[in-house]
Amino acid sequence: MSLLRLEDVEKSYGTEEVLHGVGFEMDTRDVDVIVGPSGSGKSTLLRCVNRLTEIDGGSIFLDDEDVHAMDENDLRRRVGMVFQDFNLFAHRTAVGNVTLGLTEVLDLPSGEAHDRAMEYLDRVGLAEQADSYPAELSGGQKQRVGIARSLAMDPELILFDEPTSALDPELIGEVLGVMNDLADEGMTMLCVTHEMGFARSAATTLTFLDDGRIVERGPPEQLFDDPEHDRTREFLGDLTEIH
Amino acid sequence: MAGIVLQSSDWLFVASNADFLLLGTIVTVLLTITSLSLGFLAGFPMGAIEVYGPDSLRSVVGTVGVVFRGTPIVVLVVVLYFGLPIPQLGTVPALDIQVTPFLAATLALGLRSGAYQSQVFRGAIQSISEGQMEGARSIGMSKLQAIRHVIFPQAIRRSIPGFQNEFTIVLKDTSVAFAIGLAELLTRAENLYLQPGRGTAVMEVILTITAIYFVLTVATNRTLDRLHDRYAIPGGNE
Repeated sequence: MSLLRLEDVEKSYGTEEVLHGVGFEMDTRDVDVIVGPSGSGKSTLLRCVNRLTEIDGGSIFLDDEDVHAMDENDLRRRVGMVFQDFNLFAHRTAVGNVTLGLTEVLDLPSGEAHDRAMEYLDRVGLAEQADSYPAELSGGQKQRVGIARSLAMDPELILFDEPTSALDPELIGEVLGVMNDLADEGMTMLCVTHEMGFARSAATTLTFLDDGRIVERGPPEQLFDDPEHDRTREFLGDLTEIH
Repeated sequence: MAGIVLQSSDWLFVASNADFLLLGTIVTVLLTITSLSLGFLAGFPMGAIEVYGPDSLRSVVGTVGVVFRGTPIVVLVVVLYFGLPIPQLGTVPALDIQVTPFLAATLALGLRSGAYQSQVFRGAIQSISEGQMEGARSIGMSKLQAIRHVIFPQAIRRSIPGFQNEFTIVLKDTSVAFAIGLAELLTRAENLYLQPGRGTAVMEVILTITAIYFVLTVATNRTLDRLHDRYAIPGGNE
């Protein structure tokens, strides 16, 4: 049984159809990477999974449970998200960003929440910055706090929405390092990213999305080295040249 | 003119009634506090509803705001003072509350302030990036939890400058309670210069209470400035 299953997902913004029937499945411990040109619907697809965006057609199942029948807060407790722009709580320190969900959503006592938050900050290498505010951190550090915040909720799946796209090039490595570690530890991850190196090394499955449709989906080696579609070859070829 | 106004005998008269004016000052300060508090309790939820509420509630709040912002404050004070206790409405019988001038003035100033504060808070809330709400929702917080723990603490900080305006206005507007005889600063000032033979002291009395209003305003604004700096988010906003 798959952990996440999308069936014929459709989404429009007004008259503009962004997703034209997207479907795929992923299992626990899978690292699924979605690539595609901008405007192809990647981020929308990701946001549909935790219902930050509601779909117009089709269905999404988490552990065989229709996510639309679930309480959205329960769903998001089980499916974490890491954003391109971090979305850290500006008025809380790094550790405060991690503890908020622990005390308010998981109802942990504050001492326990603090210990757990420190543990996760340590895991992303930021124990020393625990008392810094987001505006005092670099982009790479902010994103690692974002990952710790999501991770500390102990989700079954984490969605990564272009986690390195807002970063200066020299800061991308530290975030990818953390993501690679997570992948090695068996975290289930659904990632939208342009980082082809990460896709090649960490992904169990690579999906090429174009114009709201899955063009090709398979093991990364296959898409990189022997794609079925010219469009895939073209796109991945261009990206690999850049990165 | 100089001989008539600002005579030393009139200043002495003011000085000898310092305790009388002090009581008025206390009433003014208390009325400011109760009105601003009521305004805050009404204004923050109204501002939040105007940003996050469902359409129906938003339009109700919007209309209430327009009515309270669009009515002269003296009218509100008079209507609430003489209107609430009329027999047809009862003297708020279920609660058995007597509508005292202080209560009527608090309601009028407080509700109007709420209508204005709602706009201060609405602006502050709207200035906070949508990502803050999404970040909170993404870890499973409800909309209300997100407002309370993420939006409110940031919006409150950004509201302080707007709130300073509102504070100044409410403090000075407590003087309209004069219209229903509440013994605040302006009413007491009038009580002084209307005493037989004290007609020459009008300017001295009025200047004195003006100075009192001025000192209260400046002192509180300074305090709010400090509060603003002290609780500023280190490193600035995102």
